[in-house]
Amino acid sequence: MTPVLEVRDLCKTFTLHTIDGRTVVSLRGISLDVAAGEHVAIAGPNGAGKSSLLRCVHRTYLPDSGSVALHLPQGPVELTSLADRAMARLRGREICYVSQFLETPPRAGALEVVADAARRRGLAVDEAGDAAAESLRRLGLDEALWDVDCGVLSGGERQRINLAAGTVRPPRLLLLDEPVSALDPANRELALSLVSSLTSQGVAVLAVFHDLDAIRQLATRVIRLEDGRLVASGTAEEILDELEAVS
Amino acid sequence: MATAVRQLLDDPHGAAPGILDETAKREIRRTTLTAVCVPGYQVPFGSREMPVARGWGSGGLQVTLGLIGPDDVLKVIDQGDDGGVNATNLRRIVSSTVGCEADTDTRESTIIQTRHRMPEEALDERQVVVFQVPTAEPLRGVQRSSAECDRMHAEADYSAMWVSLYEDIVRNGIITTSTGYPVLVNDRYVMATSPVPRWDIPRLHQADHLNLYGAGRERRIYAVPPHTTVTPLTFDDVPFEVEYVAGARCAYCGSDDAYLVEAPGGRFICSDSDWCARTAADDSDTARHRALAPLAWLPDPSRPSVKSKPASLLTGAGSSGPAQLPVRAAPAPFDGGDWMLKVDRVGKIFGAGDERAVAGTGPTFGTAVSPLTGAIVAAWDVSFDVAPGEALGLIGESGSGKSTVLNCLIGDERASTGMVRLASVDAGQTDLFTLSAAERRRLRIDTVSIVYQDPAAGLDLRVSAGGNIAERLTAAGWRSYHDIRRRAAELLDRVEVPLSRMDDPVSTFSGGMRQRVQIAKALATGAPVLLLDEPTTGLDASIAAGVLDLLRGLLRERDVAAVVVSHDFAVIEALTDRCAVMQTGRIVESGLTDQLFHDPHHPYTQRLVAAARR
Repeated sequence: MTPVLEVRDLCKTFTLHTIDGRTVVSLRGISLDVAAGEHVAIAGPNGAGKSSLLRCVHRTYLPDSGSVALHLPQGPVELTSLADRAMARLRGREICYVSQFLETPPRAGALEVVADAARRRGLAVDEAGDAAAESLRRLGLDEALWDVDCGVLSGGERQRINLAAGTVRPPRLLLLDEPVSALDPANRELALSLVSSLTSQGVAVLAVFHDLDAIRQLATRVIRLEDGRLVASGTAEEILDELEAVS
Repeated sequence: MATAVRQLLDDPHGAAPGILDETAKREIRRTTLTAVCVPGYQVPFGSREMPVARGWGSGGLQVTLGLIGPDDVLKVIDQGDDGGVNATNLRRIVSSTVGCEADTDTRESTIIQTRHRMPEEALDERQVVVFQVPTAEPLRGVQRSSAECDRMHAEADYSAMWVSLYEDIVRNGIITTSTGYPVLVNDRYVMATSPVPRWDIPRLHQADHLNLYGAGRERRIYAVPPHTTVTPLTFDDVPFEVEYVAGARCAYCGSDDAYLVEAPGGRFICSDSDWCARTAADDSDTARHRALAPLAWLPDPSRPSVKSKPASLLTGAGSSGPAQLPVRAAPAPFDGGDWMLKVDRVGKIFGAGDERAVAGTGPTFGTAVSPLTGAIVAAWDVSFDVAPGEALGLIGESGSGKSTVLNCLIGDERASTGMVRLASVDAGQTDLFTLSAAERRRLRIDTVSIVYQDPAAGLDLRVSAGGNIAERLTAAGWRSYHDIRRRAAELLDRVEVPLSRMDDPVSTFSGGMRQRVQIAKALATGAPVLLLDEPTTGLDASIAAGVLDLLRGLLRERDVAAVVVSHDFAVIEALTDRCAVMQTGRIVESGLTDQLFHDPHHPYTQRLVAAARR
């Protein structure tokens, strides 16, 4: 089966010109595949390169070398060299990225943010509004908060808005970076079951969770990163047991 | 003055006496001929000193003297009156100089010099009417610069004129311009009508006689030849009307279909003294006169007022204008090379030297000043393209060349090198830099819109908010007053300007409101390319946020290709998906906006991002 996402030898180094050109190496040659309906969880300590990997796939970071191929019905697309405009259009349409902290435009309400995401997916204006409402309801966001500036909401509320925007329609590839870190148990359950249902609908998910229970519950496969390298890959049990044994 | 005239007439050399010599007459005839060939166009001529003061008919007098011969019969009227002092004097000067006959009977005269009236009597192809013109330039009231007036005539760019009509209707419910009503001659030139009352305007259309206009002070001669189309400027849905007082009748001759003026005691009398006297004496063809009178243009008292409250404009089911406000279509294919605006290697050098000035400038050298020639390389090798529905940011510090690039795009500045193309112009084949200034200006009407940092640069502050939008719409050919009103109301509503302020001059608006009006104007014709030059920089923080949110919403709902120039990363981040970073005239880095913000590569971009974090 062809994977949805194919990452090969991905390297990323930051050069900090503001500090005498110091370099910080983040990824040292990562290769991995994610297939449709597969949930690959990335585990590893702080600074291992988990988020960098997600961001390199999303092109928020521009990788130095290596390849990131996204397989679309019309054929594979190399994301690292894709024209900016094409990448901008792929984003939100085929690839959705849910970051740990909501990055919304200032002074925008939840419904607006999510409806906007739905519009990017190609929905008409009225459909987008309905889809956004449904998505927010599914994540249990109080309707009284829908038109409040997202910037003033609590961390957990913002995180749910973020997730709602990323999943308002199932994308081809879903990138999750700690999407439930600020949620209370009940809302966390809602969020996790949503991700799980998306996976079963055939969405390819690449996720970072610090919370090992979430990984156990959702991941079909786990990879472990350390110092920018992929050091292990296997089922949740194999990797997590190993991880817990180490700590 | 009488002595001077006598001296002129008393030619000591025994040659034929005259005021103009043959050379002068020839020049006037030649100018007149040109004027007849190009109806409505003001032809310059070397206006001579006349034995009357300028402003007392010196222009008309020169035209008359240039044309008249001993066989002609001259009539001179002042406001229709043969007996006025000025009319009498002019008649005496000309007839005694030329030796022609002078008469007050319109029917007998071949040349009729007039101030501010057309004779009531029907005129035929034998006759020439010479108008004395105080102000030849119809655009003088809306444009003070003569050079700009000339340009507007050359490009038939009369939107400023239309705006003044629009403003008149908004303020007064009717077009109040009474005398000197602007007309379009031969579907080409807007012409000042000398100024005759509106009553006489329909007489110019497809007339049998020749109309000549002489302006001595402005040194212009122009003409409406026989059988020429003359249309008073008016909106399709606001009729042109002549002056009329219901039931008014001349106290002397009883005419009710002649142009009447009010006399003391509430009476009305004919303005044309010859007509009045002959009608009273039963020596006039009143039936023919009635057929000629502009009765079809009398005001219709049953017509509802065109004055409309702005708030009522939005109750209808949307605009019925020629085009709906454009909204976003289906999303574009992600991989398309479907650019709308394409900029290739644009460069702009201020000062001496061509490409040789470029060496030694740029980010590597940290300067835009050429060490060789001292020229400033404001932009060099700037390339980007923008697709419909996409916004591209240009960011950089002051002096990095952002605005120079934008000014080259819009045509305010002539680029030194490079190429700019628009997909909608000649299917993207034509370099805009090769177009004439007029063609580039035309593109600004409905193809490329710009929002300046300073609203005064994009708006006429003396004109109402609606009028500013009307300027763009009339330039694009809108001629329905109500459609224009409705579209303007929709736009102002969209940019959240209270409709109650629609008819107020923009000079009474706050900075943020002015900027909103400027944005509405830029959107009026649905131009596919929108350039935003520091759109929020001049505004205080809370107002800037509101305008930014508005722009974000507008860019989201429309398929425009936008270029946003700003030094503020927050503006670029809020509005654009992609951006290019400029330093000392070069693009040093470009990419997805969030990538440039999170993973800047160039040292300058890193400094910029670090500075933006507050």
